[in-house]
Amino acid sequence: MEIVEKAPMPVAAPLDQSVMARIKRIPTAYLALWIIGAICVVALLSFMGCSLCQYSFDQTSSDFLAGPSAEHWMGTDELGRDLFSRIVYGARLSIAIGLTTAAVAFIIGTLYGALSGYLGGKVDTLMMRGVDIAYSLPDLLVMILIGVLLGRGTVGILIALGLVSWMGTARLVRAQFLQLKNEEFIEAARAQGQSGWNIVFKHLLPNALGPIIVALTFTVPSAILSESTLSFIGLGLSPPACSWGTLASDGWRSLRAHPHLIFFPSLFIFITVLSFNFLGDGLRDALDPRTRLGKNSH
Amino acid sequence: MLALIIKRILLAIPVLLVVASLTFVLVRIVPGGPFDADKNLPPEIIANLNAKYHLDRPVPEQYLLYLGRLAQGDLGVSYKYVNRTVNDILADAFPVSLQLGTISLTLAVLVGVPLGAIAAVCRGRKEDVIAMFLSTLGISVPGFVIGATLIFVFAIKLRVLPVGLWESPWHVVLPAVTLAFSPAAYLARLTRASVLEIVEKDWVRTARSKGLSQWNTVLKHILRNSLIPVVTVLGPLTAIVITGSFVVEYIYAIPGMGRFFITAVMNRDYDLILGTTLVFAVLLIIANTFVDLAYQFLDPRMRIED
Repeated sequence: MEIVEKAPMPVAAPLDQSVMARIKRIPTAYLALWIIGAICVVALLSFMGCSLCQYSFDQTSSDFLAGPSAEHWMGTDELGRDLFSRIVYGARLSIAIGLTTAAVAFIIGTLYGALSGYLGGKVDTLMMRGVDIAYSLPDLLVMILIGVLLGRGTVGILIALGLVSWMGTARLVRAQFLQLKNEEFIEAARAQGQSGWNIVFKHLLPNALGPIIVALTFTVPSAILSESTLSFIGLGLSPPACSWGTLASDGWRSLRAHPHLIFFPSLFIFITVLSFNFLGDGLRDALDPRTRLGKNSH
Repeated sequence: MLALIIKRILLAIPVLLVVASLTFVLVRIVPGGPFDADKNLPPEIIANLNAKYHLDRPVPEQYLLYLGRLAQGDLGVSYKYVNRTVNDILADAFPVSLQLGTISLTLAVLVGVPLGAIAAVCRGRKEDVIAMFLSTLGISVPGFVIGATLIFVFAIKLRVLPVGLWESPWHVVLPAVTLAFSPAAYLARLTRASVLEIVEKDWVRTARSKGLSQWNTVLKHILRNSLIPVVTVLGPLTAIVITGSFVVEYIYAIPGMGRFFITAVMNRDYDLILGTTLVFAVLLIIANTFVDLAYQFLDPRMRIED
């Protein structure tokens, strides 16, 4: 579900080094950037097969359902598996799902929105009408229905997430293109006789990139939330697949006696999603020409 | 006004038809039927069951049969809840979800709108930072985490509130609070953005310069005008509440639409999946129609354009 305000995005905010400098001045966004970086590095290392923890994620022991201790930082589950190792292992699936969804949203959404916005007219109306209807349905409802068809594997979840996530990006890109294509520099490019392809990819897209990146930053956490929610209610991934969502779902069953099993996976989902949201907010402020003006006038 | 409502109703019919058809196709092309899980049934009985519910006919014929029944307002029968029609189940479940949704939305408005307004009025100050931090927290916590935390604190540790089912008013408290979190955060962010836009308007400056107190300016001139965009997000808010109800009704075992939808999907209870999906679609259409009407009512400029 998209919880981003649908406020009009600023147009033609250049994406350059000054953005990084501005992010540094927003403490929440800068901290979020570091946290996301750290989690992504852990996920990447885990993908490449590095053992980051003392235990393997599926190594059982006789130490069942132990609380957090020096030996098992976050305790163990009902099979004696070390929860910290499982969370580190689960990071790769959760992060991969978030990033893949954002990539799909970027590719499909940008192409669809660019085509619609660049062509305009009847094609545009037709292309956007379908998106409008699908966009007004709750994402989770659509994902569950698609999940019925695709099954509950990782690929099924990824397709379901990809299918619902590109529509927001498409609407945004279209709106940007509609605004930009009447600007003088596009007219100049046209007067030079540049091809439509060139105008879209060399002139329009780079200028619309700022808001697109902001939107994608919000796509990652909403995908992570959707996956964990689906897995939690039993319609997403299921064991042996190991994501933060399935770990929380496992922990839910023993909430009364062993709350640590749901606490730690939830904490990681929460911190990751929160970081992406703070980064998104920060990027939006950093890219907004209006706040830039405000800051300089002091 | 009436013309708009009629136009909306006429537009809703093809949309509902598309939703019904897509959902129908989606659930029917999946391998596996509603009676697969009953392991002990001999094949003859399964064949009889399939024949009784016309599941042995070709899919296009099933589709036409379904549409025929739908036109008469008959949503079909549940294959899992014996002797109950989908209409019966929805008639029981819908009021429960409606109560839960309405209470949560009211709660969300009462918390979210003031929070956003305070943040905007105190822009850049401590209050703003705290309010926006809270609202970002609100959209970042998954519903099941809020639910689990509330259950753990209030039901397991403190033992002050009941959990599960839908019996007394006390049973409403925890689910409603859980469900209100995300729309409240959404509303706070929206109200803040909206108020910030209004604050810069000329007539706000006029109100200030004629000596109106800060409090009066905010209440009478700013908040009233910035509520227009807030009313118009009822569509997305309904979507948020429906999504939230899947999780909340699941963890609190509330016999509402969200829970029946989830179990229907798990059980491949075709008609119940279709029935709940259609009711959700109707709800969203009503919400969006209401938004259009509200626009016309609240903003005279929209009426001139018509």
